[in-house]
Amino acid sequence: MVKFERFQLSNGLKVIFHKDISTPMAVVNVLYDIGARDESEEKTGFAHLFEHLMFGGSVNIPDFDTELQKAGGENNAFTSNDITNYYDVLPANNLDTALWLESDRMLSLAFTEKSLEVQRSVVIEEFKQRYLNQPYGDVWLELRPLAYKKHPYKWATIGKEISHIENATMEDVRAFFKKYYCPSNAILCIAGNFELDFIKERVNYWFSDIASGKKPARIIASEPKQIEFRELELERNVPASAFYYAFKMAERKHPDYYIADILSDSLSREKSSLLYLKLKKEKPFVSEIVAYITGSIDEGLFIISGKLNDGISFEDFDNALWEVLNEVCLNPIEEKELNSLKIKMQTARAFQEQGILNRSMNLCYFELLGDANGINEEHLIYEQISCDHIQSYANELFQKTNCSLLKIKAQQA
Amino acid sequence: MIKRKNAPSLKAIEKINFISPVKIQLGEHTPYFWMKEVPNETARLDFIFHAGTTRGSNLISSLVAGLLFSGTAKKTSTDIHNELDDLGAFFDVGLGHESVLVSFYSLKKNILAVFKIFEDALEHVNFPQNEIDELITDRKQKLKINCEKVGFLSQRAFQKNLFQGTNYAHQTELEDYDSVRREEIIEYFSKNYKNGLRKVVLVGALDEVQVTEIAEKSKKWCLPEKPLFENNFNNNKGVFQLEKKDAVQSAVRIGKTLFNKNHSDFLGFSILNTILGDYFGSRLMKNIREDKGYTYGISSTEAELAKSGYFMIGTEVGSAQKDLAIQEIKNEIERLQKDLVPDEELELVRNYLLGQLLKSADGPYAMTDLFLSVDAYDLDFSFYESYIQKVKNIDAEELRALAVKYLAWDSMTIVIAG
Repeated sequence: MVKFERFQLSNGLKVIFHKDISTPMAVVNVLYDIGARDESEEKTGFAHLFEHLMFGGSVNIPDFDTELQKAGGENNAFTSNDITNYYDVLPANNLDTALWLESDRMLSLAFTEKSLEVQRSVVIEEFKQRYLNQPYGDVWLELRPLAYKKHPYKWATIGKEISHIENATMEDVRAFFKKYYCPSNAILCIAGNFELDFIKERVNYWFSDIASGKKPARIIASEPKQIEFRELELERNVPASAFYYAFKMAERKHPDYYIADILSDSLSREKSSLLYLKLKKEKPFVSEIVAYITGSIDEGLFIISGKLNDGISFEDFDNALWEVLNEVCLNPIEEKELNSLKIKMQTARAFQEQGILNRSMNLCYFELLGDANGINEEHLIYEQISCDHIQSYANELFQKTNCSLLKIKAQQA
Repeated sequence: MIKRKNAPSLKAIEKINFISPVKIQLGEHTPYFWMKEVPNETARLDFIFHAGTTRGSNLISSLVAGLLFSGTAKKTSTDIHNELDDLGAFFDVGLGHESVLVSFYSLKKNILAVFKIFEDALEHVNFPQNEIDELITDRKQKLKINCEKVGFLSQRAFQKNLFQGTNYAHQTELEDYDSVRREEIIEYFSKNYKNGLRKVVLVGALDEVQVTEIAEKSKKWCLPEKPLFENNFNNNKGVFQLEKKDAVQSAVRIGKTLFNKNHSDFLGFSILNTILGDYFGSRLMKNIREDKGYTYGISSTEAELAKSGYFMIGTEVGSAQKDLAIQEIKNEIERLQKDLVPDEELELVRNYLLGQLLKSADGPYAMTDLFLSVDAYDLDFSFYESYIQKVKNIDAEELRALAVKYLAWDSMTIVIAG
């Protein structure tokens, strides 16, 4: 049970306080309700580029990192297709430093032409390091536009192409800040050994004079229902051919989301999933095969991916995979396996809940989904899932017309 | 009106309470550590074996580490994985030059049952040929894929030159897989696991009875003699280039063999290393990322071995900028050798390091790992008391002298892949 208190400032900033008496550290986590899905198709990669710029100095503070490091703390941030999340971890007795820093950059940024130029280069190097200079690195740049035709999930957070980042102007960036970085579009969580009254007083002190801003209306093109099998084969200079089957699955708040999550766990069990037993153990089609979900807020993807063994054709593997998926649709998983999957989830949760940073991020994320208390309720949803639920959802999911397949053909093989 | 221009006043860290785990002696050379102050239902159980890559062939040690759960006469590998799954347990096996770490994570109520599965799997593992073949196929493919990564290529070449002339330098090549014999695997296992247990670590609020049962049943694997490790390394100095066609970035590794916590300059050097490249505000990050934009990240590390250690700078930079980036790294090192670190920067690093130490001691898992990181060198928590004093008292002259003594550019191994 993660206990917390909630309050809201008059400017609309939502605040969550999570008390933990056992730690000498404090966490300040700020989630902004802005992700790559909010970008326009001509200017992709902005949410993420912006995350970098958030460290380039704010209106009263030239260097964010330096001040936090002086206070014994450290920080980082990440951007997804849905959100941008910033966190600071520091000794609890220096909490005020983190509030000062986070409130100042919510108030106004003051980065220079030079910091924009440098961060453009840094992000371009990140683009190269993660997506271009790795075997299979560009898979998500190709798979997204195959699976999504209208919804902005069709581009990756890093952006659709490098030129969008290269062409970002000071004006673009200022407009972006003004629109998305305001109290009414943020959720703040503070965790540590404090009293609620103290937290209320300090948060009010630092954040209450920031202009509310207007929560931007979200207009996102909805994805039309997929009605045809899609397939793309690319040749790449890699040692092994790889496959990515992407099935459209339920959005984050839909009850089916949880079923898909358990189903992906079932198909990913090391050395014992049906995919492993049939496609690797019985007949060595693949060297590796996993299933996972993208976990996005809007309609997500259920992925089955892996690599073919030498000498195996895509066609042979494809037939064998669909046979296994048919089996999943025909036969419910055993009660025993379902229980085992649930115990594993419980265990994973018990470990994740240990750190205050994880708890703080999750509290903000659940608040964004509608209620921070979701952090305590989600396991009840998982517990109610039955073998029949899973079978029935598998039948909905594993339809050829619901699938986009990306094949990376190895030139070296 | 809020005074936003002025930073809130900073408070010093008052005290760090170090809590040592309970020590139980399993064998003459095998301690068992138990951290019982865990305020929740989780538990972790670690086994450290004297079975690292330098105990024999790099390839065989890595295959054995991957086959510990491959099956017994009565159970297949699938059976064993299913049993662990039914208890909600996670495990991982980490292979290093000097040891193998097998860790289990589960709810504390299940940890004894998890141990029993492990005990049976390890005691009776019979290395089925089909499991060996499967692993070899996978590993070969992974090695081929890794060889497409400039980071992997540079790391391999760096280690080769760093540890030249010792078996730490040995690496697996693709063709080595073709001559693997099952007998070698069995022999390696008997020698280094069945009689190779160096340490057991348990974190979790368990009953004493369970803790004792794990102890009693682990004794049979204890190492019969004190382990010996190489302490004489001499890195191959100079520049080594590896060509990788079409790479849009080059991976750079720069470093040399050094020392571990037992050396009198370790503490001072670790502060110098932080200033140079071991935090987000380091000189390398400030210059090469935040000023020039040549890279997404650059860092330096001080890594330890049982009787030695090494220093390494690592980064991936745009191929066109690699020479400029290396020149800037050299400039930053020379700056540390010529100029005194300004007071303000040194003050920041002192505060930062103490804050990070407080974080490293936060919670029973972190505390246990902090303890293990000194116990590995026959030290105890008093090491961190000395560390705190060193962080508070080191001056700019000492840092400059350390930079001169240990960071001479011509003492470095420099590897560039891309």
